Amino acid sequence: MTEVAVRGRATRRFSAFRIVQIVVGAAVGGFIIWRLLFLVVTGQYGPEFWARILIGGLIIGAVYALIAIGYTLVYGILRMINFAHGEVFMTGTFGGYFVLEGLGAIIVDPATGTNFRDAFPVVAILVAFAVGIAVSLSVAFMLEQIAYRPLRKAPRLIPLISAIGASFFLQNLFQLIFGAQRRLYPNPTSLNAHLGLVFDINGSSVIIPYTGALTFVLAVTLMAALYTLVQRTRLGRAMRAVAEDKQTAALMGIDVDRVISQTFLISGSLAGAAAVMWGLHYGQISFFIGFTPGIKAFTADVLGGIGNIPGAMLGAMLIGLIEAIGPAVLGINPQLKDVIAFMVLVLVLLFRPSGILGEVLSEEKV
Amino acid sequence: MAENIQKGIISGLIVGVVMLLLALVGFVNTSAQIISGLMGKTVENGTPASLLVFLAIVSFFGGMFAIRAPHHIAKSWAFVVVRSALSGLASGLIVGVFTWIIGTELASKVEMRAYLNALSPDNVRVMTVDQPALLAGLTIFGLLTAVSLASGVLWHLVTLAGIGRLITGVWTDTVSEVTSNPGVQRVASSKTTRYLVYAALILTLFVLPRTFNNFIIHTLGTVGIYVLIGLGLNIVVGLAGLLDLGYVAFFAVGSFVMALLTAPFPHNLLWSFWPVVPICIGVAGAIGVLLGVPVLRLRGDYLAIVTLGFGEIIRILIKSDDMAWLTNGPKGVTNVGQPILFGQKFNSELDFFYMIVLGAMAVIFVTNRLEHSRVGRSWIAIREDETVARAMGINTWFYKLLAFGIGAAFAGLGGALVASRSLFVGPEDYTLLVSINVLALVIVGGMGSIPGVILGAFVLKGIPELLRDLDQYRVLFFGILLVVMMILRPQGIWPAQRRRLEMARDDEPVDLTQSAEGAAK
Repeated sequence: MTEVAVRGRATRRFSAFRIVQIVVGAAVGGFIIWRLLFLVVTGQYGPEFWARILIGGLIIGAVYALIAIGYTLVYGILRMINFAHGEVFMTGTFGGYFVLEGLGAIIVDPATGTNFRDAFPVVAILVAFAVGIAVSLSVAFMLEQIAYRPLRKAPRLIPLISAIGASFFLQNLFQLIFGAQRRLYPNPTSLNAHLGLVFDINGSSVIIPYTGALTFVLAVTLMAALYTLVQRTRLGRAMRAVAEDKQTAALMGIDVDRVISQTFLISGSLAGAAAVMWGLHYGQISFFIGFTPGIKAFTADVLGGIGNIPGAMLGAMLIGLIEAIGPAVLGINPQLKDVIAFMVLVLVLLFRPSGILGEVLSEEKV
Repeated sequence: MAENIQKGIISGLIVGVVMLLLALVGFVNTSAQIISGLMGKTVENGTPASLLVFLAIVSFFGGMFAIRAPHHIAKSWAFVVVRSALSGLASGLIVGVFTWIIGTELASKVEMRAYLNALSPDNVRVMTVDQPALLAGLTIFGLLTAVSLASGVLWHLVTLAGIGRLITGVWTDTVSEVTSNPGVQRVASSKTTRYLVYAALILTLFVLPRTFNNFIIHTLGTVGIYVLIGLGLNIVVGLAGLLDLGYVAFFAVGSFVMALLTAPFPHNLLWSFWPVVPICIGVAGAIGVLLGVPVLRLRGDYLAIVTLGFGEIIRILIKSDDMAWLTNGPKGVTNVGQPILFGQKFNSELDFFYMIVLGAMAVIFVTNRLEHSRVGRSWIAIREDETVARAMGINTWFYKLLAFGIGAAFAGLGGALVASRSLFVGPEDYTLLVSINVLALVIVGGMGSIPGVILGAFVLKGIPELLRDLDQYRVLFFGILLVVMMILRPQGIWPAQRRRLEMARDDEPVDLTQSAEGAAK
């Protein structure tokens, strides 16, 4: 008797969820197909428009990828969302900013008034990246030492709340110290935001900005380097072992605490690199800048399968493209661009919580 | 000795960096301003004397921090003197050099404010105690060293004299004597006492505010609102264990439903206040359930991010031009309707305070009944272990939805009251910060504990309202508080009985007699 009742309830619950899935899926899918057909039939946008969007999407996707890898590395090892990772990214943008400002104040040629930043742009950019990475990396390291390490054994909500606290602390610390205003990133003149390679598509010019090209190439290089590091080096092996099983890894002679620290260092340095790229390419920074990229990078992780490094890269590129294409395809106001990423997150979690490349997670992990 | 030297310098570096950050966020000047007020006359940015007093206070705690050690280690005089003196020297060096640098920059008229917000010329003048840069640096260096050493020695003397133990000893003796008295126990646990306490409490709540001025009543009302929505989130986070970071969405929905149905613009519906309140509660609850349906299969951290996303989506939608036909976009809605009772306007601060208290009491009543019912036990079971809960035949999906819906409904009530009280709703009042605020008070008070939430609301919402000078540091403080609470006392200030047992770490022995009592209840 009871057995029947229990089974009946279980089926009912299952079917309720199926109904939600089907209804939402049909609505979203139908809408997108309708919009695509509409766009194809009316031919509202020409190829030059799509080329521009593709370029923009790939560049932002590359930046998201570097942030997303930071989340994924930490999640893989600690099974926690480093909520303050967006803020780690934000601190890096400030690091690069102050370097470029400082170098801009050094006049190397009094006759023409040329400053160091414009005279030696390569050096300036390298120093900016070095300092941005150093800042983010130290913040990530201290974050782990202070806010996460004492909570290693606590229930899962506890470190997450601590991370939220740390995130708000960092955001407000930067607001109070550096002020709430937006700051313009002082690019070297040769890397001015509207300089770039110009193509001619369909009679109108499409530009690939140098900053964007730099961002994309550098991001891809860093991703390749990271992948090699994780797959080929001793540290990478140790990281994978710790991600697999902390206790066994410790028994095999791996210093787990050290590996966790190093993971935070790596994730922080990737965020720092992404931060300086962001500053150079988008040109504006403020204390609040980490929040949205942070959430979107996390979305990218979920889309690609969290804990999975190639998944993070793929997911980030997809999110970048979806975000760029979304307003046009869906025919909505670009104001609502941020909503698209969140909708993707919800849809992924509704239909495939393990993500594109993710293993099918047991319920414990989800 | 080497260890003392090392530890002393490290403490000093930490204290120095903390002071530096306090100076850079402008907290030093704000505190100096407050201290100058206490010393007789409030001077903006503080006076040199008040600044030195503030630095001395911080350094005093720095000295205390430098000589901290586990209880079982006996501190020698060398230990105390070396550590506190070195700590003072190191922190003094950092802050002194900083003072010297900013003093020099000020003298050469560098506009530091462009980069460091707190270093306005007025602030720097106070920070350098109105002296030339080098002299100021040396003064501060000397002060910090001396105070730190003195503080170390003083605390050591206090420990040697056993004054601290004397005070706490007398206190605990008295407390245990009183509480163990059978007569006192009988009276304390009797129902009559409980009802008397309730009656006195209610009487105080309704009568006492009549003597307050409007500002205090308004503040108490704000605290009450936060108690109300905090209790809603308490059901979701504290009882059912679902971390919801988008809770503000339901608050916003309550506010906007109230505003749109009662305001003359943009829809000119002009409904009266009373029937709209249940509508707000209902709509918010329904949206809670709707949003809950797709996400409640997720657990813990995933849920947190998705709900955060929802909170942002709702705010962005309310704000966007696409929805302006419904919500009036970023301009918000003005002239929200006010309650009318028996033909009389019922809209003074005091009236709203009464309504908020009534609402909060209703919410407390509902939460209390739910918590100790089948529903509440199901929530707690889900929180503890969802798989096991399901195996025990609990329909986890239904109960999670129920928690989400009820929590959202409470927020809707809070939102409706706030909208009517402040006459205006705008999308920018409903940011993530509100969610974090509410979450912080639930966590700081104690997850799953009703008195904890009330206490949390008073601590996190009431005290900052009264300390307006420190308002800009509120979020900074919240951030630190969340981290520190999680590390030192994750169960909150006033933990729920069950929570207290659960949060005990593996390495701490759990008092089994207590857990048996808890189970018996």
